[in-house]
Amino acid sequence: MSVETRQSLPTFRMPAGFNGLLPALVLIVLFFVVPVLALLLRSVTEPEPGLQNYATLLGDGTYARVFFNTFLVASVVTIVTVLVAFPVAWMLAIMPSALASIVFGIIILSMWTNLLTRTYAWMVLLQRTGVINRTLMAIGVIDQPLPLINNLTGVTIGMVYIMLPFMILPLVGTLRAIDPMTLRAAALCGASPFQAFHRILLPLSLPGIAAGGLMVFVMSLGYFVTPALLGGTSNMMLAEMIAQMIQSLLNWGLGSAAAFILLVVTMALYALQLRLVGARRMSGGA
Amino acid sequence: MTQPFLSIRNLRKAFGAITAVHDVTLDIPKGEFLTFLGPSGSGKSTTLYAIAGFQDPSSGNVELEGKSLLAVPSHKRNIGMVFQRYTLFPHLTVAENVAFPLRVRRRPEAEVKKKVADMLALVRLESFAQRLPGALSGGQQQRVALARALAYDPPILLMDEPLSALDKKLREEIQGEIRRIHRETGVTILYVTHDQEEALHLSDRIALFKDGRIEQTGSGEDLYLRPATDFVAGFIGNSNFLAAEHLDTKDGTATIRLADGSVVSGVRANGAFGKGQKTRLMIRPEAFGMERSPTSAELNVDIVDVAFYGERRRIVAQTATGQEIDIRPTSTAMQSHDSTQCRQVYFDPAAAFLFPA
Amino acid sequence: MLLDYDRMGWLKIALLGFTALVAGFLLLPVVFIVLLSFGSSRWLAFPPPGWTLKWYQELFADPAWLDAALTSARIATMTAILSVVIGLLASFALVRGRFAGREILRGLLLTPMVLPVVVFAIAIYAFFLRLGLGGTTIGFVVAHTVLALPFAIIPIATALEGFDKSIEDAAIVCGASPLEARLRITLPSIRIGIFSAAIFSFLASWDEVVVAIFMASPSLQTLPVKIWGSLRSDLSPVIAAASSLLVGLTLALMVVTALLQRKVRT
Repeated sequence: MSVETRQSLPTFRMPAGFNGLLPALVLIVLFFVVPVLALLLRSVTEPEPGLQNYATLLGDGTYARVFFNTFLVASVVTIVTVLVAFPVAWMLAIMPSALASIVFGIIILSMWTNLLTRTYAWMVLLQRTGVINRTLMAIGVIDQPLPLINNLTGVTIGMVYIMLPFMILPLVGTLRAIDPMTLRAAALCGASPFQAFHRILLPLSLPGIAAGGLMVFVMSLGYFVTPALLGGTSNMMLAEMIAQMIQSLLNWGLGSAAAFILLVVTMALYALQLRLVGARRMSGGA
Repeated sequence: MTQPFLSIRNLRKAFGAITAVHDVTLDIPKGEFLTFLGPSGSGKSTTLYAIAGFQDPSSGNVELEGKSLLAVPSHKRNIGMVFQRYTLFPHLTVAENVAFPLRVRRRPEAEVKKKVADMLALVRLESFAQRLPGALSGGQQQRVALARALAYDPPILLMDEPLSALDKKLREEIQGEIRRIHRETGVTILYVTHDQEEALHLSDRIALFKDGRIEQTGSGEDLYLRPATDFVAGFIGNSNFLAAEHLDTKDGTATIRLADGSVVSGVRANGAFGKGQKTRLMIRPEAFGMERSPTSAELNVDIVDVAFYGERRRIVAQTATGQEIDIRPTSTAMQSHDSTQCRQVYFDPAAAFLFPA
Repeated sequence: MLLDYDRMGWLKIALLGFTALVAGFLLLPVVFIVLLSFGSSRWLAFPPPGWTLKWYQELFADPAWLDAALTSARIATMTAILSVVIGLLASFALVRGRFAGREILRGLLLTPMVLPVVVFAIAIYAFFLRLGLGGTTIGFVVAHTVLALPFAIIPIATALEGFDKSIEDAAIVCGASPLEARLRITLPSIRIGIFSAAIFSFLASWDEVVVAIFMASPSLQTLPVKIWGSLRSDLSPVIAAASSLLVGLTLALMVVTALLQRKVRT
């Protein structure tokens, strides 16, 4: 750590403690900012200068369908994830720590297990002759195998599976930060459990739900692996389309433009999420 | 006999192997300000929580006007409560917090508005109605909590160490508020604290808790001047305990021999003692005087230190057997230059209490 | 009293039941894949007609798998070391530094975590094609370090924020040089953060698929690329065997983490 020694040299006019950032900044600027900007440049220069790539993407029905699919899947995944994650986070926030650590262990195991491993498991589980279809048929719920894979159903199941930990873990934090005494006070004030839930517990968890939900939405928008493996060819999502434009079609102009649209949408939502989290910090700190 | 308003019957609460409350029985008349006083872990909060319905007692009963509360869930008990920590709803304004109990009772909006205004006037926070709790000081938050707890005119108000998070000056200010509100509303208050001064200052009656049992119930004066046990004597106010041998008891007054061999008659015996039994004599620091009087007993001490505390002096002295005692005569009773000397101090045997060792 | 575990009655039972279902959902693919890897059916029938180790034998007989695993381990280790060192320096600056735009710079350093990987993947792919770094170990390590850096900065910066700087100052008052104070007092105090950073950045590289797919060359394949390729051709049980070994590795990492955390706490 050469921070101090350098700082003591009078010729150095760097602001206090800044030097430590230099290696990280060099890395990020050189190998992140520059390549991404170069990509952006390609989107308006290839095959010839102009905005025709964007016009194509936004004007063509095929591409509009991909954008729609992407937003649809991301929205459904977010809603399902929030609905499933909230009760789990609620219990995790208050259950005895021995029991909670088992559930946390399962969550971490699932989260840390190789992404492709998990997706592979779902490919096998969801296929036409897979365990889920066979079980459902064996107990007589269905006569014909359900189409669970190579469509949006498969993508949604696989994505919810991957996103759940990202929603549960921060929500546990939000719920643990709520003083149980507040809910006792509500009960003594005469609020029934239902009233206490929708007037106190839910509003107090809302910042966490919004921040987590937005994060899940943003991650889902640009997700590549799961849609590519569990989705079908007829309803592609954006990330997959970008990869295909570059890898198979070698259409750098169109691919870069699509990537840039994804980047702008993501960054805008990310900025919104930061504001939500910031607002929560302020109100939570009081 | 008239039926007591609130009645706690043989309450017991165990958490696994630990029994927090052993056997608490208490009748509370309407309008009383009763304080549960005791060290932490003495079962006073657990008893309060059983009344609030946050914990089910292991056995025993809590009755309000003759009807058991145990089967009634918290939200239907119609009891007000102010907590140790600020439990205002952080996402609601002050006015919305006070309105909350009325809104969940679906009272008409006009009534809610009027009641909120009345309550905020009662705690003198009218101008803060639209603030969020986070923008209020600790003392203001507790006053809002008080307004919220009283908004639905509960017959009983529970207060669980409501002032412990506040600094001394604020504490005294809000103690005054609480007394005034008790006077103005006539609500029955059960107040939990570990602070004896707070208990003495606020309450009509004090129940002193020790290890899950009530040690003594009575007015502050009773507990201070007529402690039933040495624990009460030690917990309320300051006290000195001198080892003593019991010689004889007649009509509730005892004769004893102190460790230095001197014999004292006329001390108040708490209980029956046998001849020669080891006992302890409790004397309040301010019961010592520097002048002899016809009835006083005397004690030989070495004065170790004298400090000036305004209206009183505080003297650390040592008895012949080396025990340190605390003496607080009025400042005029002794000159400051009297320090570091061997001398007699005097006490009235009638203000000294004999307890088992 | 919705946050009092012991006083929720039937609601608790319902919510616990739901939690158990979700835990089962989260556990299902992991357990399933391990069972499958020992099943004898090439067509992944389940429950399998018999049990066998032949998929593991096939896995170890194919040098391409071991090769890919070693490549991944090498790249992930280098990425972790690089991320922790750069992340440590950056965290001190971000937490302790007093300069304008600190929050913006923090945001910039964390951006690779939120930007869709596919965007970065094609950007760095194009960039490295020009520099001639495509398909090289150094190219992989640099790209993965960009992605892993946020996962290193967050735990270290969090640990550093929770560390009372006056302890470091006390060491300096006691006669330690500022550098010595940091090395001997501050770093040991935030070691859990540093350790988490190492694990997270290792996993970020070890598990990374998208950049790897674009960057890989026939001579340099990471494990995810190898699995990806196999997945696209068929769902052979050999993948289940490889995946089970990865699950085992994850479990081992979790146990080590838990043990270390317990050791620090006691």
